[in-house]
Amino acid sequence: MTATDGACLRVSGLTKRYGALRALDNVSFTVRRGEILGVIGPNGSGKTTLFECVSGVMPRDAGTVDTLAPLFYLPDAIAPWPAQTVGWALHFVEGYFAAASGLRDAVIASLSLPSLLDQRIGELSKGQRKRALLAVGLLTSRPIVLADEPFDGLDLRQTREVAQSLRSFARDGRTLVLSIHQISDAARVCDRFVLLSGGAVRGEGTLDELTARAGQATLEDAFLALT
Amino acid sequence: MRSLRSPRACLFAKEWRELMSSRAWWVMLGVMGPLVGMSFISAVTAYGELSGVNGTAAGVGEAFSPLIGIWAPTFSACELAAAFLLPFVGIRLVSGDLQSGASKIEMQHPLSSRSRLLIKAAVLMCGWMLATLAPLIGVVLWMSYGGTVYTPELSTVLAGHVLNAGLTIALAAAAAALTEHPATAAIVTLTVTVGTWLINFAAAVNGGWWERAARLTPTAMVAEFQRGLVRADLVMVALALIVCGLAVAWTWLRLGLSATKRAQLSVAAAIATVIVVFAATRVTASWDASESRRNSFTKSEEAALAAITGDLHIEAHFAPEDPRRSDLEHNAFRKLRRAVPGVRIEYVSATSVGLFEQTSEHYGEIQYELSGKRDVSRITTADGVLTSVLTLAGIGPPPELDAEMFRGHPLAARPRGAAVIYYGVWPLAVAALAIMVQRRK
Repeated sequence: MTATDGACLRVSGLTKRYGALRALDNVSFTVRRGEILGVIGPNGSGKTTLFECVSGVMPRDAGTVDTLAPLFYLPDAIAPWPAQTVGWALHFVEGYFAAASGLRDAVIASLSLPSLLDQRIGELSKGQRKRALLAVGLLTSRPIVLADEPFDGLDLRQTREVAQSLRSFARDGRTLVLSIHQISDAARVCDRFVLLSGGAVRGEGTLDELTARAGQATLEDAFLALT
Repeated sequence: MRSLRSPRACLFAKEWRELMSSRAWWVMLGVMGPLVGMSFISAVTAYGELSGVNGTAAGVGEAFSPLIGIWAPTFSACELAAAFLLPFVGIRLVSGDLQSGASKIEMQHPLSSRSRLLIKAAVLMCGWMLATLAPLIGVVLWMSYGGTVYTPELSTVLAGHVLNAGLTIALAAAAAALTEHPATAAIVTLTVTVGTWLINFAAAVNGGWWERAARLTPTAMVAEFQRGLVRADLVMVALALIVCGLAVAWTWLRLGLSATKRAQLSVAAAIATVIVVFAATRVTASWDASESRRNSFTKSEEAALAAITGDLHIEAHFAPEDPRRSDLEHNAFRKLRRAVPGVRIEYVSATSVGLFEQTSEHYGEIQYELSGKRDVSRITTADGVLTSVLTLAGIGPPPELDAEMFRGHPLAARPRGAAVIYYGVWPLAVAALAIMVQRRK
């Protein structure tokens, strides 16, 4: 992988087993700089395992992960520092990960967090917590952010707002890899897609490429046809 | 809010904040007051009565030292807190991050997981030191009553409890890292604590290897420090166990390691610790920090013992549960081992109680052997042992110097104000602080 081919993250032959179960089977895909890549798959398809193996949180059995820039993995279903306020958590992440100056205010404004800053994380609703966590991920200043189910728990309005916000960060040079099980959400925000099913990649490409390959009109139909 | 730029400073501030948010810590802090207060008040009361309060037993306190009369019982409350309260605070701090998912975020920072764990341990130790304010208030109260403080012995007691807290923190961290749920970690920690008590119990019944192992348990270690004795072997063992606990915790907290690799590293840490512990048992250096030299013979007696040449071998025919054996060990052999590091002492018995051995010809004998010469005695006091050894060595009794006699610090005082401070002011102050801190945004 070189800086000139546009790729900033390349996953090759990634395999992960849990005993006899092959959670990931020879998974390979490429992420391009500044894009939003959606990893789409039903529950249990291996999306979280893939993200944990790519980020190094979990050891992999085989395969390589090449990256041109540091990445940050934002797990799903976590409620870190539940006794602390959102404002404090962002302040901590800003200092701990040495966030770029001014990024905190931009992230807070972009994700509509001002009203949540004094609330404890443990007391937030699922959707509020998801937005606060996205802020944590974006505040780390890492060029590549892997977010597991970033729209889970958000209502339609929030989903659109967050999607808009993620697009804006991608335009500013951040590369986002999102694991999404709601295909309609993925179609709304992602530039390209990796279709994951049963721990294996069933397709990779833009919406047009995938629908053309599957001979279907929509991403949902293409997903069903290819997996 | 000011941004802390050093990741370590950020993490320390975060861990401290998490500790302050932990109800477990506030409960421990709140309980420490009454717990220490009860020990301190009863210790001062007993000390005062034996020193002549209300006309009782005047003069007995002449042999009294605050180390045994006040500091040991007062600080013993710390041992209880370290065994039953501190583990939960430690588990809360380590497991909390694992349960909430915070560790998955924090561990993606290049700061090593070792540094992160050490910061956690340091914060826990700072929290423990704050809790230790309770017995330190006792020191101030004691001085206000006119009591004397001999800094080396008080520092030794404090150091023993700090080491014990370090052991607890390391154990709690390892348990929290190894298990998936805090409740399981708590069970593991308490199991280890109870396990060390079982070793002590087995030692009292069986002697032998159990007795040797029991000398290395946290309870035995704290007891030595509370007697004012700093033993290099115990310090080494405690430090090795602390490092081992933290190493195991570190191994299981690191990201991206397979379970097999974690298990291998943990076993390697355990093996290294066992080696260090065995090596430590060969170390005999110790320092008697007590003002009364309760762990040592007098300087003249030590000088006389130092003149002994040849191998000194002692066989004491007492069963493990025979109280004379305990007297002999604690009052005489402990001093002899320090004065004559090469001495070889063996206990011989056919049973654990000794009740049915009383009729045996040699039961109750202490057999001395030095360079082929033998002597037998049944005296279990320090003076008796010293006389036997010196006689066998052909060395005359050392002079009894008045300057070497510890005259004690009797103090016929009542624990004025202690109940108000420990049972009233302390819990109220802790509760008020807890509410204030918990409300902080």
